[in-house]
Amino acid sequence: MARFFAGKGVQYALVLLFAVTLNFLLPRMMPGSPLVFLAGEDVGFMSEAQRGQLIQAFGLDQPLWRQYVIYLAGLARGDLGHSFQQGRPVIEIIAGRVGWTVLLVGISLLAATLAGIAWGTAAAWRRGRRLDIGSLGGAMLLESMPSFWLAMIFIAVFAAGLRWFPVFGAMTPGAGLRGWPHIMDVAWHLTLPLATLTLITIPGMFLIMRYSMLSVLGEQYIATARSKGLAERGVMFRHAMRNALLPVATVFMLNVGYVVSGATVVETVFSYPGIGRLLFEAVLARDYPVLQGTFFILTVSVITANIVADLLYPLIDPRVRHAR
Amino acid sequence: MAGAEAGVVPEAGRTARPAVPRHRRRVGGVGAVGLTLLGALILCGVLAPWLAPYSPDETTGAPFAPPSRAHVLGTNDVGQDLLSELIFGVRISLTIGFLAAVLAVSIGTLAGVVAGYFGGWVDAALMRLVDIVLVVPFLPLMILLAAYLGPSFWNIIIVIGVLVWARPARVIRAQVLSLRRLDFVDAALALGASSRRLLVRHILPGVLSLALAQFILAASNAILIEASLSFLGLGDPTAKSWGSTLYYAQVRSAFLSGAWKWWVLPPGLLITAAVLGFAFTGFALEEVLNPRLRR
Repeated sequence: MARFFAGKGVQYALVLLFAVTLNFLLPRMMPGSPLVFLAGEDVGFMSEAQRGQLIQAFGLDQPLWRQYVIYLAGLARGDLGHSFQQGRPVIEIIAGRVGWTVLLVGISLLAATLAGIAWGTAAAWRRGRRLDIGSLGGAMLLESMPSFWLAMIFIAVFAAGLRWFPVFGAMTPGAGLRGWPHIMDVAWHLTLPLATLTLITIPGMFLIMRYSMLSVLGEQYIATARSKGLAERGVMFRHAMRNALLPVATVFMLNVGYVVSGATVVETVFSYPGIGRLLFEAVLARDYPVLQGTFFILTVSVITANIVADLLYPLIDPRVRHAR
Repeated sequence: MAGAEAGVVPEAGRTARPAVPRHRRRVGGVGAVGLTLLGALILCGVLAPWLAPYSPDETTGAPFAPPSRAHVLGTNDVGQDLLSELIFGVRISLTIGFLAAVLAVSIGTLAGVVAGYFGGWVDAALMRLVDIVLVVPFLPLMILLAAYLGPSFWNIIIVIGVLVWARPARVIRAQVLSLRRLDFVDAALALGASSRRLLVRHILPGVLSLALAQFILAASNAILIEASLSFLGLGDPTAKSWGSTLYYAQVRSAFLSGAWKWWVLPPGLLITAAVLGFAFTGFALEEVLNPRLRR
């Protein structure tokens, strides 16, 4: 158990190190002055003295390793730099946005996982039959659609056409709703982005669950359970599905990054004010500190989700639980 | 000829074919659909100048025109023919997908073969790297890299290529590991074959077919990623791919009016067709070639 976590821990630390180092190196390795990427585009209009001040503030006159230490120390204090556009600390901007993304990604991850498990189990149980083949085709089709396109179609049909849902945003601006009406308003705005993100996440979960279920169904103990005369339903849920869930938990972690990537695109189309949309706004404005800060926070959240999944893993796998 | 009963000689011209399992036949069917889709798209790209009614860069109608006889899919915000834009877009989307996949699978094959063959710390280090690339949220990372490098044809290919190699590397490494255990490798070593000869003459041919399947899957991935990057405004500004057609449709709010039916729907269907074409072909190939999936 301890070794399991030590191995995983090293892995996550490496991912974090990779993201941090990339963020550190990118502005410094690009052709031209790093100040363009660190302090904004009006560097050319600054006086020599101002520029000198900035160079000192970022420690750009120091050797690279000293700069790295300064950078890491800043990061440890939560310093992700200042936005070119808004002049505010990046960490503040992100903090104001992250809740929306957590809401969107959290619910759709949960919904897609449950749906994928149910769908994958059903398909594997009827392997090679019409339901299975149709499901496989449907999943591959869904996986091949660009998520932003699906989002645009949803808006065109359900928001602009049928007017069932709002076109953009996370709540009605200036409505000043409180309590229950506010919750309903948020849910109403959330529906379409959530549906899009969940739909594009389901196929991955389905394919894993189906594959895992198929390999479990080939095991001897399934034949034993059947030959004992147990009801099919019982065999499917208690014997096969429980064991087939184990690999799904592992792959679930890899999927978090996928869902976060999907959220970037979906939030952009729906103008949903999460950090995915923030990333897009930063690209449009070439606001490099925000761009880097967002990437860093997204990486941290993927790692966090992985750790949570690691902690939950023993709950479903008794072998890990008892191996302590 | 296992099906022929003893004493019965199959008639000429009606030789009994070995029974193909139903599952294998279905896999073949999926592959055929994939190849057909790809063939149609490639043909479309090659014949683009003859198929497209107009040049995609010329203003040939009123801006935002709905479909008419002159412009079957209407025109975009500057009066360019949308159908012609889509037909020429085949070239850009497929080329970027193809080149990015070549880059990704070349890196992946090299890393996989080196890791699988040499083992030890080289293997450990490379596989750690693979894990890192697989965990980092790939689209934000690509957006970051593309924003720094600046939008251009080659930058997109490089960004996709250096981030899609991880999965092929893992699959190829597994194949090399199983090849290494085979007797002929020991035999070749016993005969005094050098590492280099062993790699080039024995290991590499054994992974090439698998690399082909991985290439096709990577291409389907790359097309989807290119569309996403172009849609976010990070595509090559001088060439209009399907993703950038959708970018302009989004910026001009085409999906809020009836224009979505001819401006948003067709490019998305084309992207889906291309990705599905590659995915089906790759799926069939992998099913046939990957020993771990064989039943």
